Amino acid sequence: MEIIEQIKTNKLIDNPTEIQKICLHKLRESPLPNTKSEQWRLSNKLKFSNFLDYSVNEKDPKFDIPFPENSESNIRLIIGQNYQIKLIEENYSIQQLSEDELDKYIKEQISRFDQNENWSDLLNLSLSCTKNILGLKINGSKIPPIEIFSHASSNSLNAKTLVIFLEKNCDIELLQVNLGQENSSLSQSTFFCLEENCSVNHGVVSYGENRSNLLNSLNIIQHKNSEYNLGSLHFKFNFARFEISITQSTGNAKTNIKGMQITKKDEQISTYTKIDFNGPNGFLDQINKSLADDKSHAIFEGSIIVPKIAQKTDASQLSRNLLLSNDAQIDTKPQLEIIADDVKCKHGATISQLNEEELFYMRTRGITLPEASKLQLSSYFQEIISFIPVAKDRWDLLDKLLNEN
Amino acid sequence: MQSQMKESDPILEVENLFASTDNLPILKGVSLTVYPGEIHAIMGRNGCGKSTLSKIIAGHPSYNITNGDIKFSGENINSLEPEERAQSGIFLGFQYPIEIPGVSNLEFLRVSTNARRKFLNKEELDTFDFEELVKEKLELVKMDHAFLSRSVNQGFSGGEKKRNEILQMALLEPKIAILDETDSGLDIDALRIVASGIKKISNSQTGIILITHYQRLLDEIEPNYVHVMADGQIIKTGGSNLALELENKGYEWTDNFVKES
Repeated sequence: MEIIEQIKTNKLIDNPTEIQKICLHKLRESPLPNTKSEQWRLSNKLKFSNFLDYSVNEKDPKFDIPFPENSESNIRLIIGQNYQIKLIEENYSIQQLSEDELDKYIKEQISRFDQNENWSDLLNLSLSCTKNILGLKINGSKIPPIEIFSHASSNSLNAKTLVIFLEKNCDIELLQVNLGQENSSLSQSTFFCLEENCSVNHGVVSYGENRSNLLNSLNIIQHKNSEYNLGSLHFKFNFARFEISITQSTGNAKTNIKGMQITKKDEQISTYTKIDFNGPNGFLDQINKSLADDKSHAIFEGSIIVPKIAQKTDASQLSRNLLLSNDAQIDTKPQLEIIADDVKCKHGATISQLNEEELFYMRTRGITLPEASKLQLSSYFQEIISFIPVAKDRWDLLDKLLNEN
Repeated sequence: MQSQMKESDPILEVENLFASTDNLPILKGVSLTVYPGEIHAIMGRNGCGKSTLSKIIAGHPSYNITNGDIKFSGENINSLEPEERAQSGIFLGFQYPIEIPGVSNLEFLRVSTNARRKFLNKEELDTFDFEELVKEKLELVKMDHAFLSRSVNQGFSGGEKKRNEILQMALLEPKIAILDETDSGLDIDALRIVASGIKKISNSQTGIILITHYQRLLDEIEPNYVHVMADGQIIKTGGSNLALELENKGYEWTDNFVKES
């Protein structure tokens, strides 16, 4: 873990920016997360250590986006490629945040960071050079769907940061795609701020290749009357963590989350979510699905925090899991922390295997066992995939998943 | 009655079948032969092994055959997978048709039909051609086209599920159909629709086994043979009058029967 040594000895970055300095300073005392803490205790230490084994690569060689072709009706951006973004149309505008705006916003976030809880963001912002931070300010409606790509190249650790500031009454569909090449580590942190009356359909699709790692962190702040819908899918990583933190800053906002992680071989993929209701009348509907095969390990830990101020909160969190092998492991812990007394909150978890009676029924109709399993999996996947914007129309994710399972 | 000479070969022969699940014996020597064009009814108390027999013929993986044979068109099928049995023409209509959320009924029916057509060396149907075929079969069970776009059996009423079973039977054109309590949970009108569908699908080349508790289905479809099962065995076989007698006298009447050889 050369990176950790470099953080300790202050030799990681030659000419750190102001933000990098702040983050490195926060990490210097204890550069690793506390592996006994709730957020990290289940993480495989060897795999996590493998994440940190690669040296930091600030360069970003051009890469081929696997599919599909870019379309004129979409806006496609790749973090790390130099853009001068200024799209001003009749109904909307998309512009890059100025350095000052970006600095101010990120510093504000960092000031609230806890070394352990936000370790992934602190590492990301320590490593992300200016070129690898994309900041956007978006307003208006009827905005074409946006696709934003991050990728890590082989034998290196790449850090990419995305900051999106949505102005009042804005309405967007955004698909974020995180790709890990063979033997690579990608650190991706995303910061989203939704002003009043904003509506976002956000998709996050992350998939790797052989022995690739991912630390993917998503920080959302929702202001009143905003609606944030997240559909996410993570698969094919040696080690991946998806950390979601959503704050409904004054309540009166809606959040819908449908996420899925698929693990095979000896992979470990985990999802951690923390939803903070910081005002009344908040709404959350969350479902997280895991599918674990072979000797893999899938983890879900969700926490919903409802303080006294968050009366009339209506929150639901469900973890549904499918174990496809006797050697696979699933850990799941949806949890509620409620202080307000006038709320409607529920949570639950199920772990099951492919339904044998469904399989038998299909087989008695001449459908072979592999085909029947595929049909069952497709129905399991469909609920999530149909919730991922842009991808559901243009990316053949279902076929990709079924052909790999 | 079954030993009489027949003109054609039997479709199904169950010979002295013993089967168990989790080391618990369920079938204790069942023999049954079905020739083309015949309709058999199997009656008996709950838990006597009727449904188990149907599942074992269809190849349910939870049951082990410990003795005896199942022959289909003269071939022993004891070790065939359920899908191989279905493709070759064995159809099981479920007592409780399974709901499969997220899988569209149309796609399910198309994949099933094509699996059977492939076995019969018939051309597989694309979605367009299949829609034409299914439209015609929907008429048989008076089902609305809207059922096709819903998930398999999800949210269907009891009657709709049973009609969906008969629709599948119509599409798969089996050589033998085992219908496990297809009449349960049906009101009079639905029963007539289902019974009429079964009659239209069956012909002189198909065999039908109706598993039922009630005479009312047999009023609509008259069986050639009625078998009474108890404790994993067929204890009595007779003509359609046997069902009427059972209806009048109840299963207690059969308690003293010795297994007929």
